[in-house]
Amino acid sequence: MNPHAHTSSLPPEGAGPPRGGSSAVTMQTKKRIAVVIGAGSVKCAAGIGLAKVLAREGIAIDLLVGASGGSMFAAVMAQGLPHEETTELVSQLWTRDLTSQRDNRAMLSALLPRMFGFDEKFGMKSDALVMQRLQAVFGNSRIEGTKTQLLITATDFHTGEQVVFSRGKLTDAIRASISIPFIFKPWTFDGRTYIDGFMSDPLPVGPAVREGADIIIAMGFDSPMQENISSPTRFAFQLSSIMNNNLQRARFAFHNAAHHGEVIAIVPEFEQRVRLFDTAKIPYIIEEGERATEAILPQLHRMLAQGERSLAAVA
Amino acid sequence: MKFDVSHDGAVCIVKVIGSIDGTTSQELQDTLGKLLGPDRKNMVIDCTELSYTSSAGLRVLLGGVKDSRRMGGDLRLAAVQAGVRKVLSLSGFDSILKIYPDASVATQSFAA
Repeated sequence: MNPHAHTSSLPPEGAGPPRGGSSAVTMQTKKRIAVVIGAGSVKCAAGIGLAKVLAREGIAIDLLVGASGGSMFAAVMAQGLPHEETTELVSQLWTRDLTSQRDNRAMLSALLPRMFGFDEKFGMKSDALVMQRLQAVFGNSRIEGTKTQLLITATDFHTGEQVVFSRGKLTDAIRASISIPFIFKPWTFDGRTYIDGFMSDPLPVGPAVREGADIIIAMGFDSPMQENISSPTRFAFQLSSIMNNNLQRARFAFHNAAHHGEVIAIVPEFEQRVRLFDTAKIPYIIEEGERATEAILPQLHRMLAQGERSLAAVA
Repeated sequence: MKFDVSHDGAVCIVKVIGSIDGTTSQELQDTLGKLLGPDRKNMVIDCTELSYTSSAGLRVLLGGVKDSRRMGGDLRLAAVQAGVRKVLSLSGFDSILKIYPDASVATQSFAA
């Protein structure tokens, strides 16, 4: 078993102070704020807009959770860099050419499995550039070393269960979390094979609930439906979107019902169509993230104020 | 958050003004608890001026739906605004709640 992957052995609530992200607001309210960024490829940049608004309001994030594309953005945000630098880094990470290199051997193995040997390491695109980019941005940084506490989710390829990474190399956890089925091969390390985090939960609120977060701000994205089904890839994406959206609703409904505190859903609206690798639209996506976050600010401030009142009553 | 309670025959209409979250949900839960009963088991939540609901609000609405249905009635939503509708959709709650364009249509739906 991978010693860095956990499903139930995360530190209990209050087991230790949040890394670096603690602020005056957090100290006053004692409410732990988690931000969850769900699967959504480049749309996850809306999370940067969310973080910008919270920072402007003096609200610190105690915990970041990310799945799939959200893992990449959450990992960059957890470094505690200025927002401009965060935007620059994610723009370098996620570009169209990530999928430009076909994995010819994998394609042949799919067409002629007996001749070329087909196995679980199937992905139509080479992941060499993905790993190169992740390495360039994160190097040997570790999850437990980020400024804000970070959790990254992936899915165990063999059991289907959600896996939460709270320690270990960022590059491994993110690569595991973004193993888009059919596109990038599942990622194996420390004896376990992982597929994309969205396969078990596209909006992983569960780890934040388990960590004892009082207020969970969950930014989720619906997977887009294909405009036309003109290729096997589009066919696969359409199926994936249908399953993803239904799974997201089911899981989110459960977490809404189960959590003792608040889950605040943020669903940014994009009037412009945003495709998987529309990196040029990141500024627009961030703006929409800011707009959507501003809409929930009155509620968020009221909840934080309630925490302050409760503390005053106890005192 | 404020409530405006009215009745149309056997249907109780609760107009919720403001937002439902952890700071206000208990008030809504208490209100629904007082209004719902064997003789008044059909309810419409008029969401015309409901600007937002968090998970706490969803839990209260779900509780109201369960209670009313247990009594043989129903709790239905009317005039759900875009922001609230997104939360209902993301959580899948729109698949178990009946939603109508306005309170009048929702009230009439009980006669159908």
